[in-house]
Amino acid sequence: MDLRCYKLLILGGAVRLYFSRTPLAGLISNRVEFATPLNSYKRMQEGVYLLQHGIDPYGGDLVHETPLLLRAMSTIFTSYPEFLPLLYILLDLSTAALLHLMSSNFVQQKLQQQRSELKNYAKDTGELQYTEDDKYDIAELVLIAYLFNPLTVMNCIGLTSTVFSNLILALLLYSLMKRQLLFCLVLLSFETVRSLYPAVLIAPLLLIFARRSICAGVSIFTLFVACCMAMAGANFLVMNSWNFLDGTLGFIFHFRDLQPNIGLFWYFFTEMFEHFRTMFLITFQLNATVLYLVPLAVKLRKEPLLLATVLIALMAVFRAYPSLGDVGFYLSLLPLWRRCWKYMSHGFVVFAFFLITLVMMGALWHLWIYAGSANANFYFGATLAFSTGQIFLITDLLFAHVKHEFCLYNGQKIIINGEEARILLE
Amino acid sequence: MRHAAALLLLLCLCGLQIHAHSRSGNSDEKFHEEIVVRPLAGDHVNTYFQFTTRWHYGARDNLFHTQLTPRVIAEILQTYDVKELHISLTQGLWRYESWGYPIVEATGGAEVWAWFSGANLTSSSVNSQWNKLANVFSGVLCASLNFVDNTNSIAPKHTFRPQFMDASSRTRHVRYASLPREIVCTENLTPWKKLLPCGSASGFASLLNSGHVHNTKYHSLSLKVRTLCAQPDNCVVELTQTANLVYDLKLLEQSSSRDFSLRRLFGMGLNGFCELADSSKIYVQRNEQGQRYQLVPSPLEEVSSTRGGFGSVYAVYDMQKLSELGDRLFNIAWLAPKGERRQPSTSAPPLYAHRYLLGAGQERGRIVTEVTNTHWEPLPVLLMELVPWYVHTYLHTLRIRSKTNGHGHRREQVLPFKLLHYAPGKQRELPTHLEIGFQLPPQSTASISIEVDYLLLKWLEYPPDANHGHYIGAAVISSQLPMGRNYTALPVEGHLFKHSFNATRPGYVLTLRTEALIVGLPTPDFSMPYNVICLACTVVALAFGPIHSVATKLIIVERNTTIPRNFLRKIWHKIKRRAGSKNEPTEQEEPEREHQRVADLNERNDDDDRTATDYDDACVQRASM
Repeated sequence: MDLRCYKLLILGGAVRLYFSRTPLAGLISNRVEFATPLNSYKRMQEGVYLLQHGIDPYGGDLVHETPLLLRAMSTIFTSYPEFLPLLYILLDLSTAALLHLMSSNFVQQKLQQQRSELKNYAKDTGELQYTEDDKYDIAELVLIAYLFNPLTVMNCIGLTSTVFSNLILALLLYSLMKRQLLFCLVLLSFETVRSLYPAVLIAPLLLIFARRSICAGVSIFTLFVACCMAMAGANFLVMNSWNFLDGTLGFIFHFRDLQPNIGLFWYFFTEMFEHFRTMFLITFQLNATVLYLVPLAVKLRKEPLLLATVLIALMAVFRAYPSLGDVGFYLSLLPLWRRCWKYMSHGFVVFAFFLITLVMMGALWHLWIYAGSANANFYFGATLAFSTGQIFLITDLLFAHVKHEFCLYNGQKIIINGEEARILLE
Repeated sequence: MRHAAALLLLLCLCGLQIHAHSRSGNSDEKFHEEIVVRPLAGDHVNTYFQFTTRWHYGARDNLFHTQLTPRVIAEILQTYDVKELHISLTQGLWRYESWGYPIVEATGGAEVWAWFSGANLTSSSVNSQWNKLANVFSGVLCASLNFVDNTNSIAPKHTFRPQFMDASSRTRHVRYASLPREIVCTENLTPWKKLLPCGSASGFASLLNSGHVHNTKYHSLSLKVRTLCAQPDNCVVELTQTANLVYDLKLLEQSSSRDFSLRRLFGMGLNGFCELADSSKIYVQRNEQGQRYQLVPSPLEEVSSTRGGFGSVYAVYDMQKLSELGDRLFNIAWLAPKGERRQPSTSAPPLYAHRYLLGAGQERGRIVTEVTNTHWEPLPVLLMELVPWYVHTYLHTLRIRSKTNGHGHRREQVLPFKLLHYAPGKQRELPTHLEIGFQLPPQSTASISIEVDYLLLKWLEYPPDANHGHYIGAAVISSQLPMGRNYTALPVEGHLFKHSFNATRPGYVLTLRTEALIVGLPTPDFSMPYNVICLACTVVALAFGPIHSVATKLIIVERNTTIPRNFLRKIWHKIKRRAGSKNEPTEQEEPEREHQRVADLNERNDDDDRTATDYDDACVQRASM
């Protein structure tokens, strides 16, 4: 990391520090778009408080953080609450730094790969290939995208525990790039026990560490399951009861809290007929986890990091309690695929979707909850459009990647009978 | 015909026998009826009916053969191991600050609590007994008590003390529930009256006509059953039915005068007394607000009592004594002195409470309970909250702030709590149960506040008229007063109103109920289920479709010029292509599209020996990636 990056980090920290001292911080930590039942600061406080007073936090319906994290945070929450924003800012900055290191590492590896495959590439594809400068440019873009994305900034000042999730995911991606298998597994199992969905990230892990052998794959997977169990056991030791499993994973899977959020679940299961609830619950949870896992893993077996990005993004759209902090995280990974951007055609549409729906969400929420002049359908419409926008972005990235790969080997201009041809999927 | 006459005679004889039996005093079942009339501040009158049945059943195995006690009550005690049961059905709010304390406490809506004690009773078996008990009384009183279940019941830890006596020291379980939305009406009064030995045919109960009872500002019907066993073979079952009414004199006819009479209050005069009753008395308070009234007819005797340092005077009309004297009491009138507009000042009771909700919107709020101590000594206060599951409470936001009310320096402080019991709620399963105890400083008000979140429920969980809001039941506040000012409750060992005369004790256990709250939960649109399901599934499909095609489809290239630039022609071109491919699926040669299969790109990348010469002269690529 060079001086410029340090400057950016300091600037990002200053922005966060400034906003965490404004009334905006309190507002954000109460907004449903950022604070879900899983990650809200208030619930974390409640969990720490209950734990310290000897009341089982998972006996109730309010706390869904893992015991390990609650126990780890309890000293800071009770003794030094004034330093909490500072801690969250530091964690967020380290996420940014890790993403920066990870991306320069990624570009480095891409360059090596390109060098060995250069003779296969078509002639006019210079602009589709990663260059030496990209090592700095892309890493810096990722850094900027994470540090100055309003979504991540607000997520950080809202003190949601998505800050921890983002840190762990960034660490996971970094150690993936560094090929640290054991560390990856520990991080992944920790995050899986916390919030269930990251379990799908075992796929890029397997693609990287068990390229050719099924045997290695099976043993890595077994190791992962063992890690998850060990993580659950560690949590059990904190609480001395298994209640927390139902309070965290069970709560996510069964979708017990219908509090509105930016996802698809809340209104769907509010309005669901009780008779079909179980079926749709399983369908939606499958959709958020394993449905796209196998096809994408097969398709993107050459690009484990792209697979990880797409899976993280799909998770952020389809998980039971998504928050804008998750969205901010995967948005900051997009610059990694800068060389595909040429083929992304919905950029403006997606940008407009994001901008308009995010603005509308705030307004429609106020109209529904406070002014009483709108109803739930309005807010639901906004969240639905937001999800649609995100889906456009993800599928656009996938299509762009496919075209980019094709053109890399076949040239950007393909001439049929002297005329330029179009690329189609059929 | 002769048979019928004989039967009738037999029945009459039986009736007489019962009558003679009960009046003789030797019987093991006794019935008492009492009315207490207390004029209250602000032109209100409190009339309190109490009907007490005591059955000394000794060591009987079953309680199926009852005389005065309703069999349903006696039987239930044994079936469900109930030792003590309180049910109250109330409409209106008791105003402590101006009216003092009621003789029997009740909260708005329906309230039930019961003590269970028996061999091999576990917490879960008590839960099922409790549900069954509530269902039985739902039928007995025609109230919605069948809605009492584990989702709105708690087991209070400190607030309720048992009032029964069990010979053996078994473990005791208590359950409490309240249904603040319950509306009390005629349909509850009629079955309640049917539990009385004389029904509504004669006695004081004949005064309780629904037309007049339900016109009051506050009316509360209640039922209390308890067993008192000195030894296992020496037991008493005691049923106390009370009706507590507060009339607003301004709403009665002839509002200009403040005179009133029993006849005006109840729409009819006294209809004698219940022949099965051992005592039948009317008590009229003569001190405080009552002292300015002149009673017609004047009472035969007056009783003055001193309790906890505070005196009270009651005029007593003993119906049975009057009837022995040959008088028939039909009406009692209270005549206010003419011209006097000034009312005796009232002092606020030592402890009273209010509750309200802070915050706007349907997202979150703050429940605040204010408890005021007007006494000169600190008072211990115990607060119990039962918050329904559709409201989340945050314990870490619980604060007790006290503010002194004196004229001198006002000071605010945060009070520590001496006792805390908290059981967090769970959606659709358990309510939040909170009990806190603290010492309230003299002449000060403590406000206990806790932050809450309102939940969005499933669309079928909303009651009809969802936008009316959801109720949060009253908080129960209990304390121990060192003196007897405004305190009129019966002592725990007594069962008649006269037992509260001169009943000085070291402390007086006081229980208060606050107002119930109504919260507006966010509501979904109830007409939208199909639309929502369709729209959400569409968005899922929006992701599924493209990802499916990325994962399965092949890349082809196509000549650009074959597609016309003109929009209409473009469409025509598409249709033609569709039709063409449908009609002639076997067409080998399409002039605009030439396909040539090349090696799988990925395979080629992996294996360097396969060179790229395959596609040097390829016009069109078709590759699977």
